Amino acid sequence: MTPLNNLAELASKKFMSVKNYLYKHYGEEPGKMLVHTGVLSWTLSAAAQVMAIVFNDKISKKEKLFLIPQECADAAINILSFYLVTNAFTNFGVKLVKSGKLTTPKIDKYIKDNNVKDIGKITTDISKNMTGDTLEEFKSLKSGISMITNTLGSIISCNLLTPVLRNEYAARKQKEILANQKLDKNSQEISKMQLFKPLSMAAYQKLAYTKFSGSDMKI
Amino acid sequence: MALAGITSYIKNSSLYKTVTSGSQRVQQAFYDCVPNFSVGSEKWQKRIKWVGSEISSPENRLILGVTALMSQPFIDANNKSVDEETRKVSVCRTIAKIIAGTTTGVLIRYGCIDAINKWSKLPTSVDKLGQKVKLTGLNTLFSPSNAGHDLCEAVKQYRKTLGTILSLFVMSITNFVIDAPLTKYLTNKFIEHNGGVKHDASK
Repeated sequence: MTPLNNLAELASKKFMSVKNYLYKHYGEEPGKMLVHTGVLSWTLSAAAQVMAIVFNDKISKKEKLFLIPQECADAAINILSFYLVTNAFTNFGVKLVKSGKLTTPKIDKYIKDNNVKDIGKITTDISKNMTGDTLEEFKSLKSGISMITNTLGSIISCNLLTPVLRNEYAARKQKEILANQKLDKNSQEISKMQLFKPLSMAAYQKLAYTKFSGSDMKI
Repeated sequence: MALAGITSYIKNSSLYKTVTSGSQRVQQAFYDCVPNFSVGSEKWQKRIKWVGSEISSPENRLILGVTALMSQPFIDANNKSVDEETRKVSVCRTIAKIIAGTTTGVLIRYGCIDAINKWSKLPTSVDKLGQKVKLTGLNTLFSPSNAGHDLCEAVKQYRKTLGTILSLFVMSITNFVIDAPLTKYLTNKFIEHNGGVKHDASK
């Protein structure tokens, strides 16, 4: 046995419980796996994208003030929407199959033959005593529906909800940052002026005009 | 043990029971609106089975990328909360980000799933010629001990899951090395193509 194989065997034994856990929990529910790995993926991607904006010289400071919060909001909203929307869609699909609302003729026959009760109740699991071909068909249906509902949920959350929400958030953030910058610059000017002479009416008007006062702030 | 005690205490509390039963009632009311449906057509049964078995994270990423290209740039272009210049840069960057992210994301996921397929052989695994694969430490590195037959659906999904998890680790590096520079490069190209950005003196 080569040293590489020895090392691999050692690593393989060390992580056996992790592998068995993954096999047990994700082996039959690919939709659940996509939700969990999706969260991790968006976090890593957002970190990289923020770095890309920070180090891009061709994007002006003003645009960076919009794009950086946009990216942070993108990550936060993506993660939230993944858990709220994508997960809800995936669970909805899985429960439709588990509760017997969505079936195939073979599963229908099983329900009739075994007199399965409480069809359509969210706590019902029609697969409890299933075996053989019917169980295989049930698993295939559940897996397919969970994947379809997951993809649908992902499209709605990542491609429709997220861009709208993150744009709104980022624009608000940009306004706030620009207003604070202007205010800082202005108060520095005023304090300089105050050192040498009393506050003039012109300076006072300028201060009152540039003070951030909400949504009418020009960006 | 302490954590299990806390969990059981929370689950037995009257507040938890009230909230969960309330949430279940709302969910049930929603489910009751959905009519019962049986997928009678064999063609559709096969299609659903195929989606569950064949579609995984690379295909999901590709679908998300394509639909993102069809929606996100238009949402950014109609964002009236920012000025025109910022909007233009935002659209260019969104397109660049989707292209770079989807390309690397799909390729890396495929590559990692392929690698896991090679390194998670089971005693029942056979090669392309139908010969039994000789098991070594390396090609069983990611093999679970509780797996059934090599061809069973759960093993296939397990490999895809582990491949996706591995790809996330790979992408934590490639996001910085490939994605970010590629996004930057494409953003600048798109901005140039659109006549550049006017920078005013106040910036």
